[in-house]
Amino acid sequence: MRIVGVVFLVFLFLSCEPGLTVPPEVEPGFGGIVFFEKGTWPPQDSLFNLWVFASQIYPLDSLKVFEGLFADPPRIYLYPAIDRNLPLFVDSTSYAFALPPANYLYVGVLQRFASEITVRSLRVVGLYGTPDNPPLPIPVVVSGSQFIDGIDIRVNFHKPPPQPF
Amino acid sequence: MKRSSFILVPVLLWFTTCVGQVTTGTIVGKVTDAETGRAIVGANVVLRGTFIGSATNVRGEFRLTRVSLGTHGVVVSMMGYERTTVEGVTVRSAQPVRLEVKLRSAPIQAEQVIVTASRREQSLQEAPVSVAMVTAKMIVDRNNVTLDDALRYVPGVNLMQDQVNIRGSTGYSRGVGSRVLLLLDGVPYLTGDTGEINWETIPTHQVDRIEVVKGAGSALYGSSALGGVINVITRDAADSPELRLRFFSGLYDKPRYEEWDWSPHARFNSGAIVSYSNRVGPLTYLLSLSRTVDESYRQNDAYHRWSFYAKAKYDVSSFKNLTVSANYLRRTHGNFFWWRSLREATRPADPQLNGKVTSRRGNISLSYKELLSDRFFFTVKGIYFGNYWRDDSSGRVNNTSESHLFNLDIQATYTAAAGHILTGGVGGNFDRVSANLFGSHPGVGAAAYVQDEIGLTSQLKLTAGVRFDWQKVSALRATAQLDPKLGLVYLPDDATSVRASFGSGFRYPAIGELYIESSTNVSQVVVLPNVDLSVERSLSYELGVSRQFGKSVFADVAIFNNDFRNLIEPSVLIKRYRPYPTSPNEVEGPVIQFENVTKARIQGLEATVKVEWWKKYLSTDLGYTYTWPRDVNENTILKFRPRHIFYASTLIGYEYFRASTDFRYVSRIERIDDNLVRLAPIVHGEQRVPIKVLDLRLSYDLLALGFPLRVGFNVNNVFNYHYVELIGNLAPVRTFILSLDGIL
Repeated sequence: MRIVGVVFLVFLFLSCEPGLTVPPEVEPGFGGIVFFEKGTWPPQDSLFNLWVFASQIYPLDSLKVFEGLFADPPRIYLYPAIDRNLPLFVDSTSYAFALPPANYLYVGVLQRFASEITVRSLRVVGLYGTPDNPPLPIPVVVSGSQFIDGIDIRVNFHKPPPQPF
Repeated sequence: MKRSSFILVPVLLWFTTCVGQVTTGTIVGKVTDAETGRAIVGANVVLRGTFIGSATNVRGEFRLTRVSLGTHGVVVSMMGYERTTVEGVTVRSAQPVRLEVKLRSAPIQAEQVIVTASRREQSLQEAPVSVAMVTAKMIVDRNNVTLDDALRYVPGVNLMQDQVNIRGSTGYSRGVGSRVLLLLDGVPYLTGDTGEINWETIPTHQVDRIEVVKGAGSALYGSSALGGVINVITRDAADSPELRLRFFSGLYDKPRYEEWDWSPHARFNSGAIVSYSNRVGPLTYLLSLSRTVDESYRQNDAYHRWSFYAKAKYDVSSFKNLTVSANYLRRTHGNFFWWRSLREATRPADPQLNGKVTSRRGNISLSYKELLSDRFFFTVKGIYFGNYWRDDSSGRVNNTSESHLFNLDIQATYTAAAGHILTGGVGGNFDRVSANLFGSHPGVGAAAYVQDEIGLTSQLKLTAGVRFDWQKVSALRATAQLDPKLGLVYLPDDATSVRASFGSGFRYPAIGELYIESSTNVSQVVVLPNVDLSVERSLSYELGVSRQFGKSVFADVAIFNNDFRNLIEPSVLIKRYRPYPTSPNEVEGPVIQFENVTKARIQGLEATVKVEWWKKYLSTDLGYTYTWPRDVNENTILKFRPRHIFYASTLIGYEYFRASTDFRYVSRIERIDDNLVRLAPIVHGEQRVPIKVLDLRLSYDLLALGFPLRVGFNVNNVFNYHYVELIGNLAPVRTFILSLDGIL
């Protein structure tokens, strides 16, 4: 009888356990922290825009930048939005970039330093990349139902990474 | 013309001589249980000192034909019964001699005969290494459709979907480059392109038994036997007309969560296997056709399969026979590689949604055995194994592969005076692969081996052996290996066996691992070749003891240590590569490449206990394996290896009714490849839990009502527990299966 009791309890215990469960729904994308090197911020009049960008295209040229930004659907995305900026003159800021699932080959921080809207007024000031010198971009693969944390980017306005255009 | 006559005439004469003489008779009989009087099905009946043998049919009857005139001994054996020899059976004419053999039940582990541990028949107790066995009855009872399912309940064996892993030898490779050597009737049986096990080409319901030898076994079997050897032994045809039928139909239950319930329709799996065997003079033959359809519980995971199998054995005389077998399989299968996410665990990732894999595989094997004297016999075995597969996506062919593999093995065994049993042989293989994934490459190899089993005393036996292997793949430099083995068995009394062994193992990289180059359609990750891969190696040490306690309890405990060097694992790296061969520019991104990455040590303990209760109406099998798998380079636990494996089976049998359960526990995999999950990408690929699965089986033998049929009902995964064996792949949900087996 004791054995039967133990077996019954084991079965009861097992029947309650579901194993894997469905995780809560999340918006796909990635996020992390942008760290700004102290003492390297440029003057206010050269900070027309500051974005985190995520590009499915790499390498880039002038044409590809505009095609990527204005394609339908776009292949280059800006955070927080094309008409909004990351906080300025801070040591760091966190971000959460909602994106359609894709392989983002080139991820970093983009500065618009002149008033005209051309590629020549843009420069990459931070890169999600390898620790090499110069760094190489690391792709970020975004899939449905997954938000990737830990995509941290370091920005040094005095030492920008190699420019893609 | 003259030349062909020159060959044909002696061959015909030889056969005519053997067939034509009327100097033989027949022994017929019936084997029954001494206590119950019930017929014993499947008992082996062998004419001592010859290759003449038979298995009892559903009525317990057997027939030994072509028995030479004279007085013989007939050996009858069956697992669970005492081996019995009927002496003085005299055959004087063609008139059949009739025997009635009553077998007495025996201690539960007695008289198990194995052939894989030493390349010859020996009792399980004499083997210097751990060996487990799966019988045909277990396969039928569990309704295993492919053989990998049958291995899920072998202590020390763990399956990652269909990739077999013995005592932690294998990590994640999706089957490529198996570290467990599969033998089909004693001959290596891995695919020529990827060096993996293809379970589907093995005729599951024509298997007599499976022997699982744990630990490195390259000293006898060559490449790939790093973690162990699995020998699938197919059954011989019956001596009298026999029609076997098997039908099953299964229904997948709904998963626990509606998010995973992707299909509005019920999902079924079903199959039919029909086989016929008979004897015509000196020839026995077996023909089998099977059809299996599995709609699967996952989207784009269904398969349709046809399989044909034939085996024929020609008894040239009492002392020599020739066996030819062939198998052909055709299958289409959805290409479910991994889930879209855990939220949609029964749907594949988008690139796999319309993919399917079509495969055609087949083998032809030949075996010739001759007993030259009481002390000396030899075998010649050869096999051709052909594989073709392609994967399509939305009607577009992506990858194709065609491989042709030939294996030949010639072995001689000589029982010398002074307690020596010498086994030696030579072997060779030839392989040709042609694939857009791997390119076009040949491979060729040769080997020679020798082993001596020395009876030091009546209680102590030493086994020593060594094997030399040489292999050359395509234009790469040839490599050679020398693998020794040493074993010691001490039998202090009839009930106890103490064993110790040392063996080495190695594996040549498969052509697929060396040359694979693909921007595969199922993932965004590119796979690059690596022709610099080295041979991976292992050293195994084991110490074990088994003991029979009374008639009802058997226990076996073993401790083991396996060291691995140069383990080949798929690594996910960020690398610069050309996206296509003629591309002027390199790009950078995640790639998969096979690399010699790891030096590992796996230590552990394994214990098995079998108990029979209440006059054998109830039996229990328990198996526990603890492994401590360490990556010595990184000083961490090895990826994709569980630490604890526990199996428990119970069986209640009364008259014609049987009820049984199988419980399986595999501890949560502690470490996986995070890069693979992140870059492949496998969304929620890191999600995993311990495996705790209970299966239930009921069967009733309608023989009680006069019908040679058995009705079975299985419930697999009774509690609908959701888990993964392979990352990103939800294991089967609860399944109800009804089966009908008949032998006419």
